[in-house]
Amino acid sequence: MEHAEVFPGTIEVLEARLRTLSRVMTTKAPIAQTPKELVWALNKSKLYRYIPVVPQEDRYRVPLLLIFALMNRPSILDLRPGNSFVEFMLSRGYDVYLLDWGAPGLEDQYLKLDDYAIDYLPRAIRKVKAISGVEEFSMLGWCIGAILTTIYAALRPDDGLRNLLLLTAPLDYGNRDGITFARWTDERYFDVDRVLAAFGNMPGEMIDYGAKALKPVENYITNYLKLWDNLDDPRVVESWHAMNTWVTDNIPMAGGAWRQLIVELYRHNRLIKNELMVRGERVDLSRIRASLLTVIAQGDHITPPCQSEALLSKVASRDTELYRIPGGHIGIMAGSAAPRTTWPHIDQWLSARSR
Amino acid sequence: MSEDQQKGAKASDPLEPFRAMRDAYLDAMAKTMVEAVNTEAYAQASGAMLEGCLTTAAPFREAMEKSISQTLEHLSLPSRQEVAVLAERFTHVEMRLDDMDAKLDRIVKMLGREGRKPEPSEANAAKPAVGAKTVKPAAGLAGATAKRTAVRRRMVRPKPTGRTRK
Repeated sequence: MEHAEVFPGTIEVLEARLRTLSRVMTTKAPIAQTPKELVWALNKSKLYRYIPVVPQEDRYRVPLLLIFALMNRPSILDLRPGNSFVEFMLSRGYDVYLLDWGAPGLEDQYLKLDDYAIDYLPRAIRKVKAISGVEEFSMLGWCIGAILTTIYAALRPDDGLRNLLLLTAPLDYGNRDGITFARWTDERYFDVDRVLAAFGNMPGEMIDYGAKALKPVENYITNYLKLWDNLDDPRVVESWHAMNTWVTDNIPMAGGAWRQLIVELYRHNRLIKNELMVRGERVDLSRIRASLLTVIAQGDHITPPCQSEALLSKVASRDTELYRIPGGHIGIMAGSAAPRTTWPHIDQWLSARSR
Repeated sequence: MSEDQQKGAKASDPLEPFRAMRDAYLDAMAKTMVEAVNTEAYAQASGAMLEGCLTTAAPFREAMEKSISQTLEHLSLPSRQEVAVLAERFTHVEMRLDDMDAKLDRIVKMLGREGRKPEPSEANAAKPAVGAKTVKPAAGLAGATAKRTAVRRRMVRPKPTGRTRK
Protein backbone atom coordinates (compact mmCIF):
# COMPACT_ATOMS: atom_id res chain seq x y z
CA MET A 1 0.00 0.00 0.00
CA GLU A 2 2.82 2.35 -0.82
CA HIS A 3 0.63 4.67 -2.86
CA ALA A 4 -1.60 5.25 0.15
CA GLU A 5 1.34 6.73 2.04
CA VAL A 6 2.26 9.00 -0.83
CA PHE A 7 -1.34 10.21 -1.27
CA PRO A 8 -3.03 9.81 2.11
CA GLY A 9 -6.70 8.91 1.82
CA THR A 10 -6.63 8.77 -1.96
CA ILE A 11 -9.03 5.86 -2.26
CA GLU A 12 -11.44 7.39 0.24
CA VAL A 13 -11.34 10.72 -1.57
CA LEU A 14 -11.96 9.12 -4.92
CA GLU A 15 -14.81 7.12 -3.47
CA ALA A 16 -16.33 10.27 -1.95
CA ARG A 17 -16.03 12.11 -5.24
CA LEU A 18 -17.69 9.33 -7.19
CA ARG A 19 -20.47 9.16 -4.62
CA THR A 20 -21.04 12.90 -4.97
CA LEU A 21 -20.95 12.66 -8.75
CA SER A 22 -23.44 9.82 -8.73
CA ARG A 23 -25.74 11.74 -6.41
CA VAL A 24 -25.85 14.95 -8.43
CA MET A 25 -26.22 13.12 -11.73
CA THR A 26 -29.03 10.81 -10.64
CA THR A 27 -31.10 12.86 -8.21
CA LYS A 28 -33.01 16.11 -8.25
CA ALA A 29 -31.99 18.96 -5.99
CA PRO A 30 -34.67 20.58 -3.84
CA ILE A 31 -35.47 23.74 -5.81
CA ALA A 32 -38.32 26.29 -5.59
CA GLN A 33 -38.49 26.00 -1.82
CA THR A 34 -39.81 29.44 -0.88
CA PRO A 35 -43.27 29.02 0.71
CA LYS A 36 -46.11 30.09 -1.55
CA GLU A 37 -49.82 29.67 -1.96
CA LEU A 38 -51.82 28.87 -5.05
CA VAL A 39 -54.27 31.73 -5.56
CA TRP A 40 -55.57 31.17 -9.11
CA ALA A 41 -55.44 28.51 -11.78
CA LEU A 42 -56.64 28.22 -15.35
CA ASN A 43 -55.91 25.19 -17.49
CA LYS A 44 -52.22 24.44 -16.77
CA SER A 45 -51.43 27.97 -15.63
CA LYS A 46 -51.09 28.67 -11.95
CA LEU A 47 -50.68 31.92 -10.09
CA TYR A 48 -48.77 31.74 -6.85
CA ARG A 49 -48.39 34.32 -4.16
CA TYR A 50 -45.24 34.01 -2.08
CA ILE A 51 -45.76 34.30 1.65
CA PRO A 52 -44.48 37.75 2.62
CA VAL A 53 -41.71 37.88 5.17
CA VAL A 54 -41.92 41.60 5.87
CA PRO A 55 -44.79 43.08 7.94
CA GLN A 56 -47.49 44.68 5.81
CA GLU A 57 -46.72 48.23 6.99
CA ASP A 58 -43.13 47.85 5.80
CA ARG A 59 -43.97 46.31 2.44
CA TYR A 60 -44.10 48.14 -0.87
CA ARG A 61 -47.61 48.99 -1.96
CA VAL A 62 -47.32 47.89 -5.60
CA PRO A 63 -47.24 44.10 -6.09
CA LEU A 64 -44.73 42.45 -8.39
CA LEU A 65 -45.79 39.78 -10.88
CA LEU A 66 -43.09 37.50 -12.34
CA ILE A 67 -43.57 36.02 -15.81
CA PHE A 68 -41.10 33.48 -17.11
CA ALA A 69 -40.72 31.78 -20.48
CA LEU A 70 -43.14 29.20 -21.85
CA MET A 71 -40.60 26.45 -22.45
CA ASN A 72 -38.92 26.22 -19.05
CA ARG A 73 -40.05 25.97 -15.47
CA PRO A 74 -40.15 29.27 -13.59
CA SER A 75 -38.38 27.65 -10.64
CA ILE A 76 -35.20 29.34 -11.88
CA LEU A 77 -36.54 32.47 -10.18
CA ASP A 78 -36.56 30.63 -6.89
CA LEU A 79 -33.65 28.27 -7.44
CA ARG A 80 -32.53 27.37 -3.94
CA PRO A 81 -32.59 28.87 -0.46
CA GLY A 82 -29.89 31.49 -0.20
CA ASN A 83 -29.74 31.89 -3.96
CA SER A 84 -33.27 32.79 -4.92
CA PHE A 85 -34.47 35.97 -6.59
CA VAL A 86 -37.93 35.49 -5.11
CA GLU A 87 -36.50 35.10 -1.62
CA PHE A 88 -34.40 38.24 -2.15
CA MET A 89 -37.36 40.34 -3.29
CA LEU A 90 -39.53 39.09 -0.43
CA SER A 91 -36.84 40.06 2.04
CA ARG A 92 -36.77 43.53 0.49
CA GLY A 93 -40.48 43.95 1.18
CA TYR A 94 -42.20 43.19 -2.12
CA ASP A 95 -45.49 41.39 -2.50
CA VAL A 96 -44.37 38.80 -5.04
CA TYR A 97 -46.58 36.78 -7.39
CA LEU A 98 -45.47 34.22 -9.95
CA LEU A 99 -47.40 33.06 -12.99
CA ASP A 100 -46.40 29.51 -13.91
CA TRP A 101 -47.62 28.66 -17.43
CA GLY A 102 -47.34 24.93 -16.79
CA ALA A 103 -46.59 22.22 -19.31
CA PRO A 104 -48.98 22.22 -22.29
CA GLY A 105 -50.66 18.99 -23.27
CA LEU A 106 -51.95 17.84 -26.63
CA GLU A 107 -55.14 19.79 -26.00
CA ASP A 108 -53.10 23.00 -25.80
CA GLN A 109 -51.28 22.59 -29.11
CA TYR A 110 -53.19 25.45 -30.71
CA LEU A 111 -52.54 27.94 -27.90
CA LYS A 112 -50.90 31.05 -29.32
CA LEU A 113 -49.11 34.04 -27.89
CA ASP A 114 -52.52 35.73 -28.27
CA ASP A 115 -54.07 33.34 -25.78
CA TYR A 116 -51.32 33.75 -23.24
CA ALA A 117 -51.19 37.55 -23.53
CA ILE A 118 -54.90 38.26 -23.86
CA ASP A 119 -56.69 35.44 -22.06
CA TYR A 120 -54.37 34.13 -19.38
CA LEU A 121 -52.24 37.09 -18.37
CA PRO A 122 -55.04 39.67 -17.83
CA ARG A 123 -56.98 37.17 -15.76
CA ALA A 124 -53.98 36.49 -13.55
CA ILE A 125 -53.40 40.23 -13.23
CA ARG A 126 -57.00 40.74 -12.20
CA LYS A 127 -56.44 38.24 -9.43
CA VAL A 128 -53.22 39.95 -8.33
CA LYS A 129 -55.08 43.25 -8.10
CA ALA A 130 -57.97 41.71 -6.24
CA ILE A 131 -55.80 40.00 -3.66
CA SER A 132 -53.43 42.91 -3.13
CA GLY A 133 -56.22 45.47 -3.18
CA VAL A 134 -54.05 47.72 -5.35
CA GLU A 135 -54.96 48.71 -8.90
CA GLU A 136 -51.34 49.23 -9.94
CA PHE A 137 -48.77 46.50 -10.40
CA SER A 138 -45.25 45.84 -11.62
CA MET A 139 -44.45 43.07 -14.05
CA LEU A 140 -41.14 41.34 -14.70
CA GLY A 141 -40.88 39.32 -17.90
CA TRP A 142 -37.91 37.15 -18.72
CA CYS A 143 -37.11 35.73 -22.17
CA ILE A 144 -40.37 34.67 -23.86
CA GLY A 145 -42.06 36.01 -20.74
CA ALA A 146 -40.73 39.41 -21.80
CA ILE A 147 -42.40 39.03 -25.20
CA LEU A 148 -45.72 38.25 -23.54
CA THR A 149 -45.46 41.13 -21.06
CA THR A 150 -44.48 43.53 -23.85
CA ILE A 151 -47.47 42.47 -25.94
CA TYR A 152 -49.72 42.88 -22.92
CA ALA A 153 -48.24 46.27 -22.03
CA ALA A 154 -48.82 47.52 -25.57
CA LEU A 155 -52.35 46.18 -25.84
CA ARG A 156 -53.54 47.11 -22.34
CA PRO A 157 -51.68 50.31 -21.41
CA ASP A 158 -54.51 51.48 -19.13
CA ASP A 159 -54.73 48.32 -17.06
CA GLY A 160 -52.62 49.63 -14.20
CA LEU A 161 -49.18 48.48 -15.29
CA ARG A 162 -46.84 50.87 -13.51
CA ASN A 163 -43.44 49.25 -13.92
CA LEU A 164 -42.28 46.92 -16.66
CA LEU A 165 -39.03 45.03 -16.22
CA LEU A 166 -37.75 43.05 -19.18
CA LEU A 167 -34.88 40.61 -18.81
CA THR A 168 -33.06 39.35 -21.90
CA ALA A 169 -36.08 40.24 -24.01
CA PRO A 170 -36.01 38.80 -27.57
CA LEU A 171 -38.04 41.53 -29.27
CA ASP A 172 -36.01 42.53 -32.32
CA TYR A 173 -35.01 39.95 -34.93
CA GLY A 174 -33.63 42.36 -37.50
CA ASN A 175 -29.96 41.46 -37.16
CA ARG A 176 -30.18 37.98 -38.66
CA ASP A 177 -26.44 37.46 -38.76
CA GLY A 178 -26.19 38.07 -35.05
CA ILE A 179 -28.96 35.67 -34.05
CA THR A 180 -28.02 32.02 -34.53
CA PHE A 181 -31.58 30.80 -33.89
CA ALA A 182 -32.80 33.02 -36.73
CA ARG A 183 -30.38 31.28 -39.07
CA TRP A 184 -31.40 27.80 -37.93
CA THR A 185 -35.11 28.49 -38.21
CA ASP A 186 -34.90 30.06 -41.65
CA GLU A 187 -37.70 28.78 -43.84
CA ARG A 188 -35.19 27.25 -46.26
CA TYR A 189 -33.96 24.84 -43.56
CA PHE A 190 -36.64 24.47 -40.94
CA ASP A 191 -40.19 23.34 -41.69
CA VAL A 192 -42.06 24.45 -38.59
CA ASP A 193 -45.39 23.00 -39.73
CA ARG A 194 -43.86 19.58 -40.41
CA VAL A 195 -42.42 19.48 -36.89
CA LEU A 196 -45.70 20.53 -35.32
CA ALA A 197 -47.66 18.06 -37.44
CA ALA A 198 -45.45 15.32 -36.02
CA PHE A 199 -45.42 16.40 -32.39
CA GLY A 200 -48.34 18.79 -31.82
CA ASN A 201 -46.33 20.87 -29.39
CA MET A 202 -42.65 21.69 -29.75
CA PRO A 203 -40.95 19.00 -27.63
CA GLY A 204 -38.95 20.28 -24.68
CA GLU A 205 -36.04 18.05 -25.61
CA MET A 206 -35.73 19.68 -29.02
CA ILE A 207 -35.83 23.16 -27.52
CA ASP A 208 -33.22 22.08 -24.99
CA TYR A 209 -31.02 20.66 -27.73
CA GLY A 210 -31.33 23.90 -29.69
CA ALA A 211 -30.33 26.02 -26.70
CA LYS A 212 -27.38 23.78 -25.85
CA ALA A 213 -26.18 23.47 -29.43
CA LEU A 214 -25.57 27.22 -29.53
CA LYS A 215 -22.56 26.58 -27.29
CA PRO A 216 -21.92 22.87 -27.67
CA VAL A 217 -18.53 22.65 -25.98
CA GLU A 218 -19.60 24.64 -22.93
CA ASN A 219 -22.86 22.79 -22.51
CA TYR A 220 -21.81 19.24 -23.32
CA ILE A 221 -18.21 19.17 -22.06
CA THR A 222 -17.04 22.13 -19.98
CA ASN A 223 -20.12 22.08 -17.80
CA TYR A 224 -19.36 18.54 -16.62
CA LEU A 225 -15.64 19.16 -16.31
CA LYS A 226 -16.42 22.11 -14.05
CA LEU A 227 -18.36 19.76 -11.82
CA TRP A 228 -15.58 17.16 -11.85
CA ASP A 229 -12.96 19.78 -10.99
CA ASN A 230 -15.00 21.05 -8.04
CA LEU A 231 -16.41 17.87 -6.59
CA ASP A 232 -14.66 18.67 -3.32
CA ASP A 233 -16.33 22.05 -3.00
CA PRO A 234 -19.85 21.61 -1.59
CA ARG A 235 -20.89 25.12 -2.60
CA VAL A 236 -20.10 24.53 -6.26
CA VAL A 237 -21.59 21.04 -6.18
CA GLU A 238 -24.90 22.15 -4.66
CA SER A 239 -25.15 25.09 -7.02
CA TRP A 240 -24.41 22.84 -10.01
CA HIS A 241 -26.92 20.26 -8.77
CA ALA A 242 -29.70 22.85 -8.44
CA MET A 243 -28.99 24.32 -11.86
CA ASN A 244 -28.81 20.88 -13.46
CA THR A 245 -32.14 19.97 -11.89
CA TRP A 246 -33.72 23.02 -13.50
CA VAL A 247 -31.98 22.61 -16.86
CA THR A 248 -33.02 18.98 -17.26
CA ASP A 249 -36.66 19.65 -16.38
CA ASN A 250 -37.76 20.42 -19.93
CA ILE A 251 -41.31 21.19 -20.92
CA PRO A 252 -42.80 21.48 -24.40
CA MET A 253 -43.98 24.75 -25.88
CA ALA A 254 -47.53 25.03 -27.22
CA GLY A 255 -47.44 24.46 -30.97
CA GLY A 256 -49.37 27.59 -31.89
CA ALA A 257 -47.11 29.83 -29.83
CA TRP A 258 -43.99 28.15 -31.21
CA ARG A 259 -45.19 28.63 -34.78
CA GLN A 260 -45.87 32.32 -34.10
CA LEU A 261 -42.47 32.74 -32.51
CA ILE A 262 -40.70 31.29 -35.53
CA VAL A 263 -42.83 32.70 -38.33
CA GLU A 264 -44.03 36.07 -37.01
CA LEU A 265 -41.00 36.99 -34.97
CA TYR A 266 -37.85 35.14 -36.08
CA ARG A 267 -38.72 35.27 -39.78
CA HIS A 268 -40.74 38.47 -40.19
CA ASN A 269 -39.72 40.47 -37.12
CA ARG A 270 -43.25 41.79 -36.75
CA LEU A 271 -43.18 42.79 -33.07
CA ILE A 272 -40.56 45.52 -33.18
CA LYS A 273 -41.98 46.81 -36.48
CA ASN A 274 -45.39 47.25 -34.80
CA GLU A 275 -46.89 44.81 -37.30
CA LEU A 276 -47.77 41.93 -34.99
CA MET A 277 -51.49 41.26 -34.86
CA VAL A 278 -52.87 39.72 -31.70
CA ARG A 279 -56.56 38.81 -31.74
CA GLY A 280 -57.15 41.36 -34.45
CA GLU A 281 -55.35 44.15 -32.56
CA ARG A 282 -52.07 45.55 -33.78
CA VAL A 283 -49.37 45.48 -31.12
CA ASP A 284 -48.18 49.10 -31.15
CA LEU A 285 -45.17 49.43 -28.88
CA SER A 286 -45.58 53.20 -28.76
CA ARG A 287 -48.59 52.64 -26.53
CA ILE A 288 -46.36 51.38 -23.71
CA ARG A 289 -46.22 54.08 -21.04
CA ALA A 290 -45.10 52.19 -17.97
CA SER A 291 -41.71 52.86 -16.42
CA LEU A 292 -39.35 50.53 -18.21
CA LEU A 293 -36.18 48.74 -17.16
CA THR A 294 -34.54 46.57 -19.81
CA VAL A 295 -31.80 44.26 -18.60
CA ILE A 296 -29.37 42.98 -21.19
CA ALA A 297 -26.92 40.14 -20.63
CA GLN A 298 -23.80 41.05 -22.55
CA GLY A 299 -22.72 37.43 -23.01
CA ASP A 300 -26.17 36.15 -23.94
CA HIS A 301 -26.05 33.67 -26.83
CA ILE A 302 -29.75 32.81 -26.72
CA THR A 303 -31.00 36.41 -26.81
CA PRO A 304 -28.09 38.49 -28.08
CA PRO A 305 -28.09 42.12 -26.86
CA CYS A 306 -29.13 43.36 -30.32
CA GLN A 307 -32.56 41.81 -29.72
CA SER A 308 -33.35 43.99 -26.71
CA GLU A 309 -31.74 47.31 -27.55
CA ALA A 310 -34.29 48.78 -29.95
CA LEU A 311 -37.28 48.72 -27.62
CA LEU A 312 -36.44 51.89 -25.71
CA SER A 313 -36.72 54.01 -28.83
CA LYS A 314 -40.10 52.48 -29.65
CA VAL A 315 -42.04 53.03 -26.43
CA ALA A 316 -43.75 56.14 -25.12
CA SER A 317 -42.47 55.62 -21.58
CA ARG A 318 -40.62 58.66 -20.25
CA ASP A 319 -38.95 56.77 -17.46
CA THR A 320 -36.68 54.20 -19.10
CA GLU A 321 -33.36 52.55 -18.34
CA LEU A 322 -31.18 50.10 -20.21
CA TYR A 323 -29.01 48.09 -17.85
CA ARG A 324 -26.21 46.02 -19.30
CA ILE A 325 -24.59 43.38 -17.22
CA PRO A 326 -21.87 40.82 -17.90
CA GLY A 327 -23.17 37.27 -17.99
CA GLY A 328 -25.31 34.84 -19.93
CA HIS A 329 -29.01 34.37 -20.54
CA ILE A 330 -29.65 32.55 -17.28
CA GLY A 331 -26.50 33.48 -15.36
CA ILE A 332 -27.48 37.12 -14.87
CA MET A 333 -30.39 36.05 -12.66
CA ALA A 334 -29.32 32.68 -11.31
CA GLY A 335 -25.53 32.84 -11.37
CA SER A 336 -23.33 33.31 -8.33
CA ALA A 337 -22.87 37.03 -9.09
CA ALA A 338 -26.59 37.78 -9.44
CA PRO A 339 -27.21 38.50 -5.72
CA ARG A 340 -24.51 41.18 -5.88
CA THR A 341 -25.28 42.66 -9.28
CA THR A 342 -28.61 42.12 -11.04
CA TRP A 343 -30.89 41.64 -8.04
CA PRO A 344 -29.82 44.75 -6.11
CA HIS A 345 -30.13 46.83 -9.27
CA ILE A 346 -33.65 45.57 -9.89
CA ASP A 347 -34.52 46.26 -6.26
CA GLN A 348 -33.03 49.73 -6.38
CA TRP A 349 -34.92 50.58 -9.58
CA LEU A 350 -38.20 49.08 -8.46
CA SER A 351 -38.21 50.34 -4.87
CA ALA A 352 -38.39 53.96 -5.97
CA ARG A 353 -41.38 53.11 -8.17
CA SER A 354 -43.36 50.80 -5.93
CA ARG A 355 -44.61 53.09 -3.17
CA MET B 1 -12.88 17.53 3.78
CA SER B 2 -9.45 17.98 5.32
CA GLU B 3 -6.57 19.72 3.57
CA ASP B 4 -4.78 16.41 3.21
CA GLN B 5 -7.80 14.89 1.55
CA GLN B 6 -8.11 17.86 -0.79
CA LYS B 7 -4.46 17.47 -1.73
CA GLY B 8 -5.11 13.80 -2.21
CA ALA B 9 -8.11 14.58 -4.37
CA LYS B 10 -6.09 16.88 -6.60
CA ALA B 11 -3.28 14.38 -6.78
CA SER B 12 -5.66 11.53 -7.57
CA ASP B 13 -7.21 13.44 -10.45
CA PRO B 14 -5.49 12.06 -13.54
CA LEU B 15 -6.34 15.24 -15.45
CA GLU B 16 -4.71 17.60 -12.94
CA PRO B 17 -1.29 17.98 -14.66
CA PHE B 18 -2.98 18.59 -17.97
CA ARG B 19 -5.69 20.93 -16.73
CA ALA B 20 -4.25 24.16 -18.09
CA MET B 21 -3.59 22.54 -21.42
CA ARG B 22 -7.03 20.98 -21.44
CA ASP B 23 -8.76 24.29 -20.63
CA ALA B 24 -6.83 26.14 -23.32
CA TYR B 25 -7.78 23.48 -25.85
CA LEU B 26 -11.43 23.54 -24.82
CA ASP B 27 -11.55 27.33 -25.03
CA ALA B 28 -10.21 27.25 -28.54
CA MET B 29 -12.57 24.44 -29.48
CA ALA B 30 -15.53 26.29 -27.95
CA LYS B 31 -14.84 29.37 -30.06
CA THR B 32 -14.49 27.28 -33.19
CA MET B 33 -17.71 25.42 -32.49
CA VAL B 34 -19.67 28.61 -31.79
CA GLU B 35 -18.53 29.93 -35.15
CA ALA B 36 -19.30 26.62 -36.82
CA VAL B 37 -22.88 26.40 -35.57
CA ASN B 38 -23.52 29.97 -36.67
CA THR B 39 -23.10 29.21 -40.36
CA GLU B 40 -25.50 28.55 -43.22
CA ALA B 41 -23.89 25.15 -43.71
CA TYR B 42 -24.70 24.06 -40.15
CA ALA B 43 -28.25 25.41 -40.41
CA GLN B 44 -28.71 23.52 -43.65
CA ALA B 45 -27.22 20.31 -42.26
CA SER B 46 -29.28 20.39 -39.06
CA GLY B 47 -32.42 21.13 -41.07
CA ALA B 48 -31.70 18.20 -43.38
CA MET B 49 -31.06 15.93 -40.41
CA LEU B 50 -34.36 16.91 -38.79
CA GLU B 51 -36.17 16.42 -42.09
CA GLY B 52 -34.60 12.98 -42.43
CA CYS B 53 -35.64 11.97 -38.92
CA LEU B 54 -39.21 13.13 -39.46
CA THR B 55 -39.45 11.36 -42.83
CA THR B 56 -38.07 8.11 -41.40
CA ALA B 57 -40.24 8.18 -38.31
CA ALA B 58 -43.48 9.24 -40.03
CA PRO B 59 -44.64 5.79 -41.31
CA PHE B 60 -43.90 4.13 -37.96
CA ARG B 61 -45.64 6.86 -36.05
CA GLU B 62 -48.70 6.70 -38.27
CA ALA B 63 -48.87 2.92 -38.00
CA MET B 64 -48.49 3.10 -34.23
CA GLU B 65 -51.19 5.76 -33.89
CA LYS B 66 -53.57 3.77 -36.08
CA SER B 67 -52.95 0.60 -34.14
CA ILE B 68 -53.40 2.29 -30.76
CA SER B 69 -56.60 4.05 -31.78
CA GLN B 70 -58.04 0.77 -33.11
CA THR B 71 -57.15 -1.02 -29.89
CA LEU B 72 -58.71 1.71 -27.79
CA GLU B 73 -61.84 1.60 -29.94
CA HIS B 74 -62.14 -2.17 -29.46
CA LEU B 75 -61.80 -1.70 -25.73
CA SER B 76 -64.40 1.11 -25.76
CA LEU B 77 -61.83 3.52 -24.39
CA PRO B 78 -61.48 7.13 -25.49
CA SER B 79 -58.62 7.99 -27.79
CA ARG B 80 -55.95 10.55 -26.99
CA GLN B 81 -57.65 13.03 -29.30
CA GLU B 82 -60.99 12.55 -27.58
CA VAL B 83 -59.41 13.13 -24.17
CA ALA B 84 -57.73 16.23 -25.57
CA VAL B 85 -61.09 17.56 -26.81
CA LEU B 86 -62.56 16.93 -23.38
CA ALA B 87 -59.69 18.74 -21.70
CA GLU B 88 -60.21 21.67 -24.05
CA ARG B 89 -63.86 21.83 -23.02
CA PHE B 90 -62.83 21.82 -19.37
CA THR B 91 -60.63 24.81 -20.06
CA HIS B 92 -63.57 26.64 -21.63
CA VAL B 93 -65.67 25.91 -18.56
CA GLU B 94 -62.82 27.16 -16.36
CA MET B 95 -62.73 30.37 -18.36
CA ARG B 96 -66.44 30.88 -17.93
CA LEU B 97 -66.06 30.37 -14.19
CA ASP B 98 -63.21 32.86 -14.15
CA ASP B 99 -65.39 35.37 -16.02
CA MET B 100 -68.10 34.89 -13.42
CA ASP B 101 -65.54 35.38 -10.68
CA ALA B 102 -64.50 38.65 -12.31
CA LYS B 103 -68.13 39.79 -12.52
CA LEU B 104 -68.65 38.88 -8.88
CA ASP B 105 -65.60 40.93 -7.97
CA ARG B 106 -67.00 43.91 -9.83
CA ILE B 107 -70.39 43.55 -8.12
CA VAL B 108 -68.76 43.34 -4.70
CA LYS B 109 -66.70 46.38 -5.52
CA MET B 110 -69.76 48.33 -6.61
CA LEU B 111 -71.66 47.28 -3.50
CA GLY B 112 -68.69 48.35 -1.44
CA ARG B 113 -68.82 51.79 -3.04
CA GLU B 114 -72.57 52.13 -2.67
CA GLY B 115 -72.54 50.81 0.85
CA ARG B 116 -69.82 53.03 2.27
CA LYS B 117 -70.83 55.51 4.94
CA PRO B 118 -71.70 58.81 3.23
CA GLU B 119 -70.09 62.07 4.26
CA PRO B 120 -72.50 64.40 6.10
CA SER B 121 -72.76 66.69 3.08
CA GLU B 122 -73.44 63.71 0.79
CA ALA B 123 -76.06 62.36 3.18
CA ASN B 124 -78.03 65.57 3.06
CA ALA B 125 -77.75 65.84 -0.67
CA ALA B 126 -78.93 62.33 -1.42
CA LYS B 127 -81.63 61.06 0.90
CA PRO B 128 -82.89 57.57 0.14
CA ALA B 129 -86.19 57.25 -1.64
CA VAL B 130 -89.16 55.93 0.33
CA GLY B 131 -89.20 52.13 0.29
CA ALA B 132 -85.66 51.84 -0.99
CA LYS B 133 -83.72 48.89 0.42
CA THR B 134 -80.73 49.58 2.59
CA VAL B 135 -77.59 48.14 1.13
CA LYS B 136 -75.46 46.48 3.73
CA PRO B 137 -71.92 47.81 3.61
CA ALA B 138 -69.80 45.24 1.88
CA ALA B 139 -66.21 44.49 2.64
CA GLY B 140 -63.50 46.14 0.56
CA LEU B 141 -62.40 44.61 -2.69
CA ALA B 142 -59.40 42.90 -1.32
CA GLY B 143 -61.20 41.58 1.73
CA ALA B 144 -64.15 40.18 -0.14
CA THR B 145 -62.07 38.59 -2.82
CA ALA B 146 -59.66 37.25 -0.29
CA LYS B 147 -62.52 35.56 1.54
CA ARG B 148 -63.69 33.81 -1.63
CA THR B 149 -60.20 33.07 -2.72
CA ALA B 150 -59.36 31.59 0.65
CA VAL B 151 -61.83 28.80 -0.02
CA ARG B 152 -59.89 27.77 -3.08
CA ARG B 153 -56.45 28.59 -1.84
CA ARG B 154 -54.22 25.89 -0.66
CA MET B 155 -50.77 26.11 0.66
CA VAL B 156 -48.05 24.81 -1.60
CA ARG B 157 -45.44 23.14 0.46
CA PRO B 158 -42.09 22.28 -1.05
CA LYS B 159 -42.01 18.61 -1.87
CA PRO B 160 -39.22 16.62 -0.32
CA THR B 161 -37.00 15.45 -3.13
CA GLY B 162 -36.59 11.72 -3.22
CA ARG B 163 -33.25 10.36 -4.19
CA THR B 164 -33.29 7.68 -6.77
CA ARG B 165 -30.03 6.25 -5.63
CA LYS B 166 -28.15 6.49 -2.37
